[in-house]
Formats: sequence, structure tokens, C-alpha cells
Amino acid sequence: MTMAPDMVRHLSGAAVSVELETPDMTLNIGPQHPSTHGVLRLVAKVDGERAFDVQPVIGYMHRGYEKLSEVRNYPQITALINRIDWVSGYANEIPFMVAAERLMGVEPPDRAQFIRLILTEMARISSHLIFQASYPLELGAATPLFFALRDRERVLDLIESVTGGRFHPNFNRIGGVKPAVGAGPVTRKTIQDLPAGFLSETRDAMDQVLSTADQLEDLVAGNEIVLARTKDIGVIPPEVAISYGVSGPILRASGVPFDLRKVSNYLPYHLFDFEIPTGENGDCWDRWWIRLEEIRQSASIIRQAVDSIPSGPLQAKVPRIIKVPAGEIYVRAENPKGEMGYYVVSDGGLGPYRLKIRSASFSNISILPWVLEGTLVPDIIAILGSLDFVLGDVDR
Amino acid sequence: MADAEGSEEDASLAARAAEAVGGVVLEALETAKVGVAADRWAEALRVARDDLGLSFFSWLSAVHWANDPQVGDALSAEVTERFELLCALSDVTAGELVVFSTDLEATDPSIDSLIDVFPGADWHERECREMFGITFAGHPRPENLYLPNGFVGHPLLKSFPLLSREVKPWPGEVDVEDMPEVMEGG
Repeated sequence: MTMAPDMVRHLSGAAVSVELETPDMTLNIGPQHPSTHGVLRLVAKVDGERAFDVQPVIGYMHRGYEKLSEVRNYPQITALINRIDWVSGYANEIPFMVAAERLMGVEPPDRAQFIRLILTEMARISSHLIFQASYPLELGAATPLFFALRDRERVLDLIESVTGGRFHPNFNRIGGVKPAVGAGPVTRKTIQDLPAGFLSETRDAMDQVLSTADQLEDLVAGNEIVLARTKDIGVIPPEVAISYGVSGPILRASGVPFDLRKVSNYLPYHLFDFEIPTGENGDCWDRWWIRLEEIRQSASIIRQAVDSIPSGPLQAKVPRIIKVPAGEIYVRAENPKGEMGYYVVSDGGLGPYRLKIRSASFSNISILPWVLEGTLVPDIIAILGSLDFVLGDVDR
Repeated sequence: MADAEGSEEDASLAARAAEAVGGVVLEALETAKVGVAADRWAEALRVARDDLGLSFFSWLSAVHWANDPQVGDALSAEVTERFELLCALSDVTAGELVVFSTDLEATDPSIDSLIDVFPGADWHERECREMFGITFAGHPRPENLYLPNGFVGHPLLKSFPLLSREVKPWPGEVDVEDMPEVMEGG
């Protein structure tokens, strides 16, 4: 194709006479972009290859759980809240259950607490494996997905064998846990327990998860393209993360060794040895590495818990109709994505007067305008992926 | 694991925080809660951040204390209608957390924005504004976060009806039957 001579003259003239300056363009990303993990929309001003004044638009997944909770009783609310962060639905239930139990003065038996802890760590592994699958994919590496999702399926199968659900277990009861009915008829008088072979199968699965973690590290950590896309990209200094309320693996990647499992007593984590991995630079690479290391730590916790799980009942004595005495309490837990907490205001009724849901992803992505300011457009995808949020956890 | 030791720690933390910010200790279970005056809100939280090391902005929200709610059960005792604004701050070493609280009037509630103290307050205050109708003076983007532009009303007010319940009442007790004595396993 040849260009008309006057067009060529026009273009060359423009280049000489006008200072070369690209006009600001508004770039709309989402809400249906695959890299946004749901329905997040970003409105960015783009100057050349760099993005400025990026404004996230959220609310597409807002389901009003805080309002819905006001017309439900405590046992019904668990069915709602494990839909907040659906990638680790089980972990959402724990802080709410603990809050209601403490207001009632009920303490679940040890075996129930161990089962809760094992399943919470399984939820963490499955959530981090989703990250290990999707993040390299967003950077252009498809292979880790197959390793990570294969193991995640095995972990979900274990969760399903106990709770009857893969994503929304709705398995906790106030004062304990209630495993799914296993094979054979079970009367109400029969004590339900973990399915036969669960503990040995869990040991095998954790062995596989650990070896897969090594494979993932081999696949991704030495890849020059991944390193180039993630090292020193999207750096979040610790003081900025703290002032925005960014928590969980993102905070730890910025070098802050803060993990609620170590300082809070919502589950008996003090009985187990595990480390808090921390990053050095707070960049995308550190956030990837932290989540790989946390898979290893969680697998280690699960192995210790399986080896030392006490026998006994799964349910404390509670009244048939759950009424929670008047009072206020805030209970928070270290969820796979960060601090998840519930502020329960009870007036002594069947349901809470007010339930404030503090979800990790909401605060975690409120830092987006800060961290995306002045980044290259392709880095937006790398940074978004590294924050590992779920829109259900943002909007609630 | 609700032990007395934990409650004592929370009580001493609340007393320490109340003294530092010039507030009063409020009652909450295993949670340090401190009430401050509304006109000293931003200043008190700045002191909490700088002097108490509570630099981690956990969350901010409100409770609408009202009689005759459209949704949920009525309170067991009459209250003066008001908003209680809550903000939880934490440190990032020992995991100490304090919930700060202040009362706002029921009509045209307004308070200084915390955005200069904690940039993380931005979205929390926007959410609180649209859900409760509380004005945060000095907030740079007082726009809806969740609700569509032009939405009328503030959904988390106790006077705001839950429309799905208006259209179709909750079956509630109709669904509750006696559990079968013997359940067949599957």
C-alpha cells in the first residue's frame, strides 16, 4: 500500500512543527476482563504507555450481606458468609462462629477445633493454589496451572468428603462442627465423625502438595520472563500497606511479619510449629513467593494437626434454639487473603442487630490507585494478579 | 478459648487507649472499645496511631441505633436514635486492636474525614456515607461506591425496608419441621 504524497508531507510536517506529545486517553478495563478475577472495572488515564489516576469501580457483586444478616438468625448466616470469598469459603465461617460462640460462652470441643483448623488450612492451600495457577497464566505461562489445579482438586475432594461441599461447606455449627453423613444409615443418636480414611488420605495429599510446591518453584522461579515481569514491579512499602489496611500475604510480602494465627487465639494455632514467611521488596515477585511458601507452611500445619488430633465429641452442648446474649465483639482471623473479621452487635435475639463484615480484599484493593499510579499498562495486569483478590470478598 | 486472661488484657489495653486519646472505656466482650467525642474524632485517631502504635487501619463502619426497625427484631429497650461510628485500629506486632466509637446525631450526621490520618479510610468512609447517610467532611470523592448513581435512600438504615421481604415474606417457621429420626446415608 502506498501513501498519498500530500499525506506523507502532512505527517512529516506535523512531526517537525508540533512538539511530540501524546494526548491523555481514558482506558476502561473491565468489568468483564478475565484478569480482574471477577467484575472489577478500572478507569485509567493513559499517557503513552503509562497509566495515571487509576480509579477502581466496584460494586458489581454487592449482595448486601450486612443487611441480609439483620433478618436472619445465627445458623442461617453461615450459609451467606461462606459466599463472601468463594475461593476459600470455609475460612470465612470461622471468625463469625467464634464471635457468636464467645458471646454465648460456648467453647467447641478440642476435636472440633482441630477439624476447623485442618479445614481452614486446606482452604488456604486451595486459595493459594488458585493463585499459583492463575498468576503465571496471566503473565503468559500456562503450565503451572495444570499442576496447581490438579492438587487443588485433591484438596477440595478432601474438604468435600468431610463437609459435603466443595466451595460452600456451611459446615460449622455454633459449638462445634457437623460432618456430612457418611456411608450407611446414621441415626441422630450416632456420633458423626470424620469419614474413614480421611486422616491417612490427608497425609498423602499433603505430601503431594509439598512436592508440587517444589515443581511450581522449579517451573516459575527460574523463568526469566516471569522475573522480568514481576521483580521490582508494583512495590508496596510496608508503611503504605499498613496505612491502607492491606493485610495477609501482601503485607507480609512488604516485610511485615504479622500473622493473626500467631497473635490471636481463634483456633489453637499455638500448638503447632510454623513460620511466617516475609518478603524483602514488597513487589509482585515477593507476593508470588509468599503464597508458595505459605502453601508449604499450611501443609506442615495440617500434617502436625492430623498426627495430634484428639478424640472426643464434635459438638458442645448448646440450646436447641440459638439465642446470643446481648453484647458486642470483634473477632478477626487470618484468612488466605488477609484479615477477615466480624463485628457482631447482639441484642439478645435470634439474629444480630448489626453485623459488620471486614473482608480482606476490600482493603487490599483500596490501595490500587496508589500502587498503579504511573505504572506501565502491561504491569497493571501483573499487579492486579499479584494482589490475589476475589470480587465477592471486595463487595460482600 | 474465652479465658479471663484475654479479657484482662483487653481491659488494660482499653484503659491505656482511653487515657491516651482522652476518651472513655466502653463495654465490649474481649474487644477493647473506647468512646471519644465526635469533635475530637480525627485528632483522637491520630494520637492512637502516633502514640499507641495503632497504625494499621482495619475498618470503619457504623451502627444505626433506632427503635421500630423496618427489618429485623426491635431492640429490647428504647434507645435514643443515633449513629454510632466505629473505627478499628490495630498494631502489626502484638495484634492489639482497639475499636474507637463516637456518637453522631440522627439527623444530618456529619464528622471529619480520617483520610488525612489513614488513606485507607477512603473507601470505608464512602461505603459508610452511602449506606448510612453520614457526611465525611473533607473527603475528596464523596461518590457512591456500591450503589448506582442516583440511588435514593441509605440501605443500612433501620428504617430502610428490605424490598425482597416486602414482596415475599420469609417462609421462616413454615419450613421448620421435625428432623427425621433416621437419616439415610448417601
